[in-house]
Amino acid sequence: MKKHVWFIKVLLFFSAGWAFAQDDATHYLDALERKYSALKDYTVDVKVHFDMEGFNAPDMQARLYFKPPDKMKVESKKVFFFPREGGIFNPFIFKKDAFDIRLLEETAYGNRKAVKLKLYPKDTKKMKQSFVLILDIENHQIREFHTSFDEREVKGVIDYGTFKEFDLPSRVDLHLDLPFKESFEMREFGQPAPAPRRVTGKVEISYSNYRVNSGLRDDLFESPKRKK
Amino acid sequence: MKLVWFETLKTFSRWRTYIGFGVIALIVIITEVVMKLSADEILYRMLRSLEKDFLISGNVLNGWFVTAFIMNTLHIHMPFLITLVAGDVVSSEATSGTVRLLLIRPPSRSRIITAKYITTFFYTAGLVLFLGLLCILLGLTLFGSGDLIIHHYGRFGVIYIEEAEIPIRMLFAFMAAIWSMMAVASIAFLLSTLAENSVGPIIGTMAVVVVFLVIGNFPLDFFRSLKPYLFTTYLTFWQQFLDDPIPWRQIGSSAAILGLHSILLFLIALGVYARKDIKS
Repeated sequence: MKKHVWFIKVLLFFSAGWAFAQDDATHYLDALERKYSALKDYTVDVKVHFDMEGFNAPDMQARLYFKPPDKMKVESKKVFFFPREGGIFNPFIFKKDAFDIRLLEETAYGNRKAVKLKLYPKDTKKMKQSFVLILDIENHQIREFHTSFDEREVKGVIDYGTFKEFDLPSRVDLHLDLPFKESFEMREFGQPAPAPRRVTGKVEISYSNYRVNSGLRDDLFESPKRKK
Repeated sequence: MKLVWFETLKTFSRWRTYIGFGVIALIVIITEVVMKLSADEILYRMLRSLEKDFLISGNVLNGWFVTAFIMNTLHIHMPFLITLVAGDVVSSEATSGTVRLLLIRPPSRSRIITAKYITTFFYTAGLVLFLGLLCILLGLTLFGSGDLIIHHYGRFGVIYIEEAEIPIRMLFAFMAAIWSMMAVASIAFLLSTLAENSVGPIIGTMAVVVVFLVIGNFPLDFFRSLKPYLFTTYLTFWQQFLDDPIPWRQIGSSAAILGLHSILLFLIALGVYARKDIKS
């Protein structure tokens, strides 16, 4: 009987610790959410440099529009490629209610205090991705992120500038590790199907000319859907 | 020069010469109109694998892309259209009974056959350039301009050619296509010197092209080992002008191999024609 009581006590001790850690980690995202709550939209010019295997493209420029929670639009006169993951700064996806949050470690980023968090989506139907974030807890900035989903791995490092009292990215360096499989439709007679492989590379994105809270209308983000 | 002009006039005054131009016009117009109507479907298929990871904007399905797309089918239908004239250019003299009249006149046989070969080149070049100009003009009218995005099967990713660079690359690509098609025309030309009618050279040339294409593309190791020795392997070397970086060395070797084929076939045709018995 005594053994059982001890076991329950130990269990309670650890579960209380776990619950505390959870609560503790949640407030980091809460602070992030509060910090950007006044951000209603932004427009920014982006310049993208690809250093990816098999992706022979010159530097590309475009204008990017964003409106929370997840509306985005890319406008370019020329053909433009932009990484879906990590290219568009969207702090609104990191809502504390959407994730189970684990504090992995307390660390430092430069000379500032930081934490490393692991975020597991609560509703895996809505969101498949889990994230690891390094959060500067003095400035409430996401400095690094790592996400994996559908065999894809994306790591990013963010540098910030201040635009209209908001800390927004001035540069993002992405490391992509993506699966690649050829479509059978494109195959000609006799061409052997190449084995699926992984493609890795780096994408550097520079951001300039921010226009914040300019009142972007919703219809700006509407685009005709392509028939499949 | 007069002989070349005379042969060219003779060739381009035959209605058969224009079948190729008509067929090409039909293929290009139908293809581009259907592509315009199915633009969404084409874009979806084209970009499906890339759109998982990238947002893509801009005019990807533009006139240059459509031209490159149609050019990819060049080695399938173009040889047949070329043989219609190249396979007829010498043998038609025998069919129409004018060969004796032609060969008893002062110009030497070698000058006559050279003039006919140059005329074959004019026809081949005209046909390829007609395809190119029609594709580009109709393409730019229907789809507009833009940067060219090329994907080579089996290699990850894309090649991005900036709009300003495309016309010169296309010009080189079409010159390379003329060079390729001259190798096919030379086979038809040689067979034309051997035959008394045009059907044999046309069917014979197509048989050679089809058999070589099938052998070269069969997914078996034995056939794959033969591939470097088949001239059909190099017919699509024009595509390399739309690569990045442009593989000049490969282009040079492909052009040399095809050029050697053309020269050799012409020299054989010259020898055959010089010894041709016109008395029987």
